[in-house]
Amino acid sequence: MTTLIQSLSRRCQTIAARSPWIYRINAGSCNGCDVECATTACIPRYDVERLGCQYCGSPRHADIVLITGPLTARVKEDVLRVFAEIPEPKVTIAVGICPISGGVFRESYAVHAPINQYIPIDVNVPGCPPRPQAIIEGVAQAIAIWRERL
Amino acid sequence: MPGQFDYPLAVLLFPGGLFALVLGLALKGADRRLAARLQRRVGPPLAQPFFDLVKLARKRTMVPDIAAQPVFLGAPLFGAVSMMLAAAMVPIAGIYTPSPVLGNLLVLLYLLAIPAVALMVAGSASGSPFGAIGFSREMALMLAYEGPLVLVVAAVAMRTGIGSGGWVNFSLTDIVAYQRQHGAFLFDPVMWPALLAFLAFYPANLGIVPFDIPEAETEILEGPLLEYSGPALGLFKITSALKAVVVLSLGIALFFPLAPEGAGGLLVQLLKLLLMMLLGVTVLRVSCGRMRIDKAFRFFLKWPLALSVLSLVIVAFAH
Amino acid sequence: MNVLKMLIGNLVKGPSTIRYPFGPAWTPDDLRGRIVFDLYACTGCRACEQVCAGGAIRFDKTPQGLRFMMWHNTCVFCGLCEFYCPTRAIRQSNDWHLAHPAEEAYRMAIREVIPYIECAGCGGKTLASAPNPVGVEPPFTPEEIERHHHLCPVCRKKAMAERGQTS
Repeated sequence: MTTLIQSLSRRCQTIAARSPWIYRINAGSCNGCDVECATTACIPRYDVERLGCQYCGSPRHADIVLITGPLTARVKEDVLRVFAEIPEPKVTIAVGICPISGGVFRESYAVHAPINQYIPIDVNVPGCPPRPQAIIEGVAQAIAIWRERL
Repeated sequence: MPGQFDYPLAVLLFPGGLFALVLGLALKGADRRLAARLQRRVGPPLAQPFFDLVKLARKRTMVPDIAAQPVFLGAPLFGAVSMMLAAAMVPIAGIYTPSPVLGNLLVLLYLLAIPAVALMVAGSASGSPFGAIGFSREMALMLAYEGPLVLVVAAVAMRTGIGSGGWVNFSLTDIVAYQRQHGAFLFDPVMWPALLAFLAFYPANLGIVPFDIPEAETEILEGPLLEYSGPALGLFKITSALKAVVVLSLGIALFFPLAPEGAGGLLVQLLKLLLMMLLGVTVLRVSCGRMRIDKAFRFFLKWPLALSVLSLVIVAFAH
Repeated sequence: MNVLKMLIGNLVKGPSTIRYPFGPAWTPDDLRGRIVFDLYACTGCRACEQVCAGGAIRFDKTPQGLRFMMWHNTCVFCGLCEFYCPTRAIRQSNDWHLAHPAEEAYRMAIREVIPYIECAGCGGKTLASAPNPVGVEPPFTPEEIERHHHLCPVCRKKAMAERGQTS
């Protein structure tokens, strides 16, 4: 009986992992990576909906979080607040090199990089900006991590 | 009466409840797939809405501090239950006649209004300013499209009533029986203004472009649904799927319920629903942009209202 | 009815989606991707460190030699290092498969050391770096490059003078 419940739960986990919803947080980015994220999600050439993903307008609906931009001092509090609004289980992807290390803005006084001092990051996608195919690769890795957390 | 099920079974299993839910989610899956193909994309698998629901069941519902908690959690439940009841009230020609305990067309009209009210109330109960904006937009749109709906329903009821010797007949079973005898209203020139008004009404009710103004849009961050997550959001998705089945089945019952008896009737109903979904919802959705709320409001108070009043007048004087 | 014509045309033409990751993704040959470092060809001039836009390249003097360190997570993939390197020791491949789990962030790096050796000419301590080919006419042959690898700067000058050059 317990094995039946366990296998059913495992099956539900696999089914649920086929519908990850994406939300993008711009933490002070130059918008290069945001444009690439928008390209990945919205244009027919790199359609992410075939993977089951959907861009959602509300952080409450999100499963996969794409963070772009070095965490600038001005926006830091708001980003942390929005990040706290996203319900568990969630996976975070740092898109571009700015959240990982600060990128070209590394030595600036206004930047709180790397972002994983404040927000736990699961997947890094380096590039300035990364290619849409590279972002899809990062999303695929994130889905695999997310499946284990469901 | 042929195919009259006991009404608890009808509400929970067939044709309400589980059957309508599976049918509605399958229709939505087909709609998303065709919309993607029309935009030269690949699109999600057909069972994607089911995956979405399973995923939503595994997340947790977060309730904001400033939200009115019982209303916040009760509103989606209200909407889903009302649509489950409504799905059991629409007859499927040839196989299902709703039990008279459930009520007639007037009760169905009230039940159809409940999901929109639930959405409005959810928006204002969540306490966020985006929810308040969604609330006011949904209210404006509802005021606009409820008028044509009531007049169209009255016109159909009056046509059935006058045709069978009385004045007006609000029983859906009688409307379907009348059309099986005298020909569907789709081919009746007297009813064409009512048909046009109904065609203008259902995109607004189902919340599809060009009228998906209050809910799920990027302008106001999804409006009333902004603060919902997890199973509560899943209930809203269930309500939306059930409403699609109810409204499309209502359209079929009002204007074109002709179908063979038995299992063939069920197949024909499914085919009609699929065609209405793909041609009426998907093609409309991908070829239009979203209307502004004041323009949509003015549109409804112009042509659909005029057409529905005209149809009422014509029907009253047609015989 | 232009919209309907366009929709029917879209259905007929089919999806224009690139099916990566379920199919191949086309990569242009000169895509600026992952950095490749050739230790043998590095002259130790540190020009790449100076022009690096993201500050990703760093040279350190260690007891073993001159250590080259490059971190992909700060590289902006601009191509300046490849442009300014005199020997094309550092260049960009077109590999863009760089997405990695966050635990491996510090493994996305290149760490190589140009070792200290004894000069084959005078026996002093010198770096085993490649010779700088800028302005050398006629260009170095591979045997000359191999010989210069074992010479200190003073002995290299002598070798160039024997060849008829001054640098």
